[in-house]
Amino acid sequence: MTKKNGIFDEAGPSSEDIKSNSADASGGDKMNRREFVRRSGALGLSLPLLGGLSSAASTALFPASARAAMPGQCVLGVTQEAVNFNPLLYVNTGVETSVEFIVFDALWKIDPTGKFIPNLATAIPDQENGGISKDGRSWTIKLRPDVFWHDGTPFTAADVIFTLETLMNPKVAVRSRNGHEHVDSYQAVDDHTIQIKLKDDFAPYLVSWQKTSIIPKHILASLPDINTAPFNTAPIGTGPFKFKNRVAGSYIEFEPNPKYHGGPPKLSSLIQKYVPDQQTLYAQFQTGEVDIYDLQGIPPLLYAKAKTLPGAKIELSASPFVEFIYFNCGKPQFSDKRVRQALYMAVDKKGWIDQVYYGVPIPTLSYLPPNHWAYNQNLKDPGYDPQKAAALLDELGWKVGNDGVRARDGVRLAFTMSTTAGNKSREQAQQVVQQNFKKINVEMTIKNMPASVVWGDYTVKSEFDTLMVGWDALLYPDPDYTDRIGSKLIPAKGGSGSNYVQYENPEIDQLCAKGVSTVGQTERKAIYDRIQEILLEDLPFAPIFAYQTIIGTKDRVHGYKVNPYTPISSWNTNEWSVS
Amino acid sequence: MVRYLFNRLGQSAVLLIGVSIIGFALMHLAPGGPLAVYTLNPTVTAQDIERVKHQFGLDQPVYVQYFKWAGGLVTGQWGYSFFGGRPVSAIVLERLPATFELMGSSLLLALIIGVAIGMLAAVRRNSILDYATATAAMIALSLPTFWFGLLGIFVFAQTLGWLPAGGIETTGGGGFADRMWHLVLPMLVLAFVLVAQWSRYTRSTMLEILGQDYMRTARAKGLRPARVLLAHGLRAALVPLVTLAGLQLPLLVGGALVTETVFSWPGMGLLFVNALGTRDYPVLMAILMVGALVVVLGNLLADVIVALIDPRIKLGHV
Repeated sequence: MTKKNGIFDEAGPSSEDIKSNSADASGGDKMNRREFVRRSGALGLSLPLLGGLSSAASTALFPASARAAMPGQCVLGVTQEAVNFNPLLYVNTGVETSVEFIVFDALWKIDPTGKFIPNLATAIPDQENGGISKDGRSWTIKLRPDVFWHDGTPFTAADVIFTLETLMNPKVAVRSRNGHEHVDSYQAVDDHTIQIKLKDDFAPYLVSWQKTSIIPKHILASLPDINTAPFNTAPIGTGPFKFKNRVAGSYIEFEPNPKYHGGPPKLSSLIQKYVPDQQTLYAQFQTGEVDIYDLQGIPPLLYAKAKTLPGAKIELSASPFVEFIYFNCGKPQFSDKRVRQALYMAVDKKGWIDQVYYGVPIPTLSYLPPNHWAYNQNLKDPGYDPQKAAALLDELGWKVGNDGVRARDGVRLAFTMSTTAGNKSREQAQQVVQQNFKKINVEMTIKNMPASVVWGDYTVKSEFDTLMVGWDALLYPDPDYTDRIGSKLIPAKGGSGSNYVQYENPEIDQLCAKGVSTVGQTERKAIYDRIQEILLEDLPFAPIFAYQTIIGTKDRVHGYKVNPYTPISSWNTNEWSVS
Repeated sequence: MVRYLFNRLGQSAVLLIGVSIIGFALMHLAPGGPLAVYTLNPTVTAQDIERVKHQFGLDQPVYVQYFKWAGGLVTGQWGYSFFGGRPVSAIVLERLPATFELMGSSLLLALIIGVAIGMLAAVRRNSILDYATATAAMIALSLPTFWFGLLGIFVFAQTLGWLPAGGIETTGGGGFADRMWHLVLPMLVLAFVLVAQWSRYTRSTMLEILGQDYMRTARAKGLRPARVLLAHGLRAALVPLVTLAGLQLPLLVGGALVTETVFSWPGMGLLFVNALGTRDYPVLMAILMVGALVVVLGNLLADVIVALIDPRIKLGHV
């Protein structure tokens, strides 16, 4: 009993009543059996009463939120656990990107309007300031001289060169080379200037550097194996916060870096807390144990409820992820684009968004979210029209057979649709789509698998019929999409890309090549407008909607700015503060 | 006795080797693998995936991978996690205390309450108490634990605000009282289910014992009912109860998958769920082997203790 009382004592001065109650309920040592039964009965009766206590009264009695909110400390809640903090090695975008932004810096970062702002570099190189040569292939980048690693060592051009070398080192399991494979040669001109020559035209190269955080040469260069370096779980960066400690399976704590070149952080402690269950995270956000609910965000199911929470701000953030139905164009059912068009018309996209996602996502007709600068605003939605879809299939010779399913030349218009098993929203959406297809006599079978199975060879080697999947562009926010639509980039046909739908179109290949070799945004927009137009016509994948994240922040948090161009909004943590 | 122990340990070693081969083969032959996480990452190309696959040694035949792993295990090198590159032994060891704290306290609580309820229910057979506990046990065993967990969080954290909604301590560190405060809810939820098991088991065991001649003799001697029940009854009931305890011992290191996830309890269960989701083979194999080891040892321990309590049982003469 003493332990318990001790705990209640902490909860506040007005806990006297409860204390005596709980002492009473457990009884004295010499309680006889009959009395025990009687008292247990009383306890059983009193439990529902406890549940019925008005929440207002009890929050006054037990101010849990006052306990959780420590002055100067901000708690960021996430439902996945960050385990690798090496910005080149981690693979879990979002939760590990968050740590990257807090501890490390790239040469420049991207602000909420999509504009690049200098970070470790003094300026964004372009042709006007001489940072990029006329032909776009020679880059000169000036670095800030006043930046220090968290251990006090000065940051220099050698670190940038080392980062580039590590990215290209075949012995290091880096997640992605971020487009640096286009580099021909590089050198450090002096301690604070680097020069890079590209071997081909590559307009998205600015994004490559925005996505490449710089790692310290003085710590990593002498290690035999970077893959297993202690640095990966105890990182040293140049960022606004220093890594303090990690309690595995629980949280990571960061302490401010007073010498941060972007100005010292205002918080005295920043915590990224791992809460695996969404409902539990929501509960912790409500009780104040968590200040910011970001990343996957509040589930759409709880959106309406969350908006009524006192003392919290709930906002929507456009996400780069677009939800698609992926058609495997290599399968006989989907080889004709008109079949794909008919199927697209049969899908009730609005019903999908409203019924499954409570109307939160934004409809899109392209692989880009509609608020992106390169989004083609003139795209025309073929609309939801089952009659027209059925007529089109009839016309193409897909006749309804005795089993009620369309077929042509012995091929039934029947297929499976796969996604991660256990993803409840997607499972509901599949049922909506299944009904939609059934209306036009097309048979769709749901075949879901664990993430480690469905996104393995099943996807990469194009073994699927259709997938329900959400993806963004490779070097988002650059609109380049070559990797997913180029005909030379089909892994199932020996290519080295992510064209899992096996889409081949020479015109698209040409446009994609032109897109990455053109520099001006206006000129590029015209090219990507056309690409999006063709994709909506050919439909190798059917775009449904762009996700919107429902982000919750407690009113005590200031300076937090939602950034739709980053996977998580911890891009400006040095400006965060709590009251 | 010593020879018996030697024999049993020898058998256990063979058993563990078998477990490792079957576990390794099943894990690697099942479709999918750790690289799927890379596929899901939009910035990763198929080229990158091939490169990482080679780095992890996943492009080698399964038997080669097994011997490499087993060879490492023998020399004390358990390998490195695919995600984070930390030594697996460190990853597993840092999770053990949390699981031990949660499972140990729940088991202890469940054992005390469960045995007490079981004995009362047996003594008062067909009474209201007996029916009430039977019903409660039925409910506890048939409803899923995550539901109890979420209900507990809803009532005690969200509505009443008495207890924290998960976690092992207040972020940034708390004292002993803070840890206990966080322990209450997950411990009660787990104990609820375990109490149900223990009480049903104790009740049936006690019922059998209550009808025995020596119990009647004890009562006839004029001993106090409490003494009859505890010194004569419970002592006899210990043998099957110790066996049950031995079987539940692996929980101490295995943890509770669902409860740990709902309460964000940083233990072995949560580690296992995460490692399974990403197919982090080295971590999964380590958990499997530690689990298998404890099952084997738990059984052995139970057998030895039973032999110590019950003089009729002689080890090695089975």
